[in-house]
Amino acid sequence: MREPEEMVPDSGAVFTFGKTKFAENTPSKFWFKNDIPIYLSCGDEHTAIITGNNKLFMFGCNNWGQLGLGSKSTVSKPTCVKALKQEKVKFAACGRNHTLVSTEGGKVYAAGGNNEGQLGLGDTEERNTFHLVSFFTSQHKIKQLSAGSNTSAVLTEDGELFMWGDNSEGQIGLNNITNVCVPHQVTVGKPISWISCGYYHSAFITTEGELYTFGEAECGKLGLPPELLVNHKVPQLVPGIPEKVIQVACGGGHTVVLTENAVYSFGLGQFGQLGLGTFIFETSEPRIIDDIKDQKISHISCGENHTALITDIGLMYTFGDGRHGKLGLGLENFTNQFVPTLCSNFLRFIIQLVACGGCHMLVFATPRLDMLEDNDSDE
Amino acid sequence: ASEVSEAQTTDSDEIITPVSQKHPKADSEKMCIEIVSLAFYPEAEVMCDESIKQVYVEYRFYDLPLSETETPVSLRKPRAGEEIHFHFSKVIDLDPLEQKGRRQFLFAVLTGQDPERGHLRFTVVSDPMAEEEKECQEVGYAFLELWPVMDSGRDILERELDVVSPEDQSTPIGRLKVSLQAAAALQAIYKEMTGDLFS
Ligand SMILES: [Mg+2]
Ligand SMILES: [Mg+2]
Repeated sequence: MREPEEMVPDSGAVFTFGKTKFAENTPSKFWFKNDIPIYLSCGDEHTAIITGNNKLFMFGCNNWGQLGLGSKSTVSKPTCVKALKQEKVKFAACGRNHTLVSTEGGKVYAAGGNNEGQLGLGDTEERNTFHLVSFFTSQHKIKQLSAGSNTSAVLTEDGELFMWGDNSEGQIGLNNITNVCVPHQVTVGKPISWISCGYYHSAFITTEGELYTFGEAECGKLGLPPELLVNHKVPQLVPGIPEKVIQVACGGGHTVVLTENAVYSFGLGQFGQLGLGTFIFETSEPRIIDDIKDQKISHISCGENHTALITDIGLMYTFGDGRHGKLGLGLENFTNQFVPTLCSNFLRFIIQLVACGGCHMLVFATPRLDMLEDNDSDE
Repeated sequence: ASEVSEAQTTDSDEIITPVSQKHPKADSEKMCIEIVSLAFYPEAEVMCDESIKQVYVEYRFYDLPLSETETPVSLRKPRAGEEIHFHFSKVIDLDPLEQKGRRQFLFAVLTGQDPERGHLRFTVVSDPMAEEEKECQEVGYAFLELWPVMDSGRDILERELDVVSPEDQSTPIGRLKVSLQAAAALQAIYKEMTGDLFS
């Protein structure tokens, strides 16, 4: 009998883990006819995929209309958002219960829950179809989107950051206001190169490689010393990382940071999502994840309680809450992982993309063709 | 080229999902035990015993080696008020043809004809640090009675069990949270072993 991975086409497949709603939440895979994924995003319980043909596919929970398909019923199969067919969709960000997308022309659309104004439409009415956020025009060249628990962010190529939605904990960086329903610029006077919205906290990186955090301060997830926590509602520089920061990913209660030489983590790690071993379940001081020190990490992703790392040679390590198989480490026997654990199911693949959500994870991987050939010749 | 013939297209016609070779087992042919989390009471002796630094939890199940029924890692001993989280779940195959022994074992537990008199016993074990030359030491037990699961037909979701010390089983020293999905299997086993005439 053939190994299952041999059924994957050379162009690769999307692999699903945990409570995706796809394939009855069992680990599964699919691929596109004449198309490939170029971007993945996972929300709390829903997923967005953008393809090379700039189409948007959505599936998962839809209680708030966050799939933008014009209904509120759960969708178990990736479904093309036909209403955006005229657009070239480029990025997507799934928040806890809403979705942002942006197009090549610099337009931003939003759908889903809107109780804190996270759709950026000037009100708090939820929408089950994608609505244009009129604030953004073709003058905004969009570099990145991010969405948290009722928060939204757009980062431009010029290094301008706009955020909106829930600010009850200062997670959109405005000091004295509970929420805003339209985009609002967040600045520290320097261009910004990366943004990540966690559930109730946020982080960005300046082009100089400095890390700033803001929002809910509990459990060390801002990585700040105690004396700075009083100002948690405005972005503050995280002092404990002596290297240039390249990426940051915020989860439910934890934060993971990729620098030029290492991966740091801080915040809550009761399920292992910090990857710092079996003795550290919380830290406010950024700490290097020693276990992957020998690996060159190229990408990081945080779900609510888990973390995934991709290496420069396309391997993947996961850690944190193992429930529902969202770490991609097995079929039915699950456990929390407290150190980065190699996903050996993917040794014969190159991991191209990963996105971690509330209780699920999506991976886009392509077969290592050289290895498959090696194996064939062994037979 | 073979993948196209082995795959079927969805109604959207853009997504291809390979046909699954796996047939999910019926609920009556498997069970799942999860060791969720552990906490100790602040006043418990284990809390001030400095020789206990990390702990794991295990249970015994018929033919399964302990390596499959103990939490794969030991975690730092919980501090006062803290819960440590294993989320260690294991699905146990109870296939009626291939796992007759396991089904008979569960019937014995259901009817109290086992050494633990109708219970699954979980053991909290102190795991000495690598540099210490000491033996593992049992520091607590928690018991889960199977009959009510069968009788009620309801699985157990995150139930807190008392942890008692091996020396004094009347004083709880903490709480072990476990889940058990087994109601369907236990009912099927009971029915087949007793030849239930009423169904
Ligand atoms: Mg052991
Ligand atoms: Mg072991």
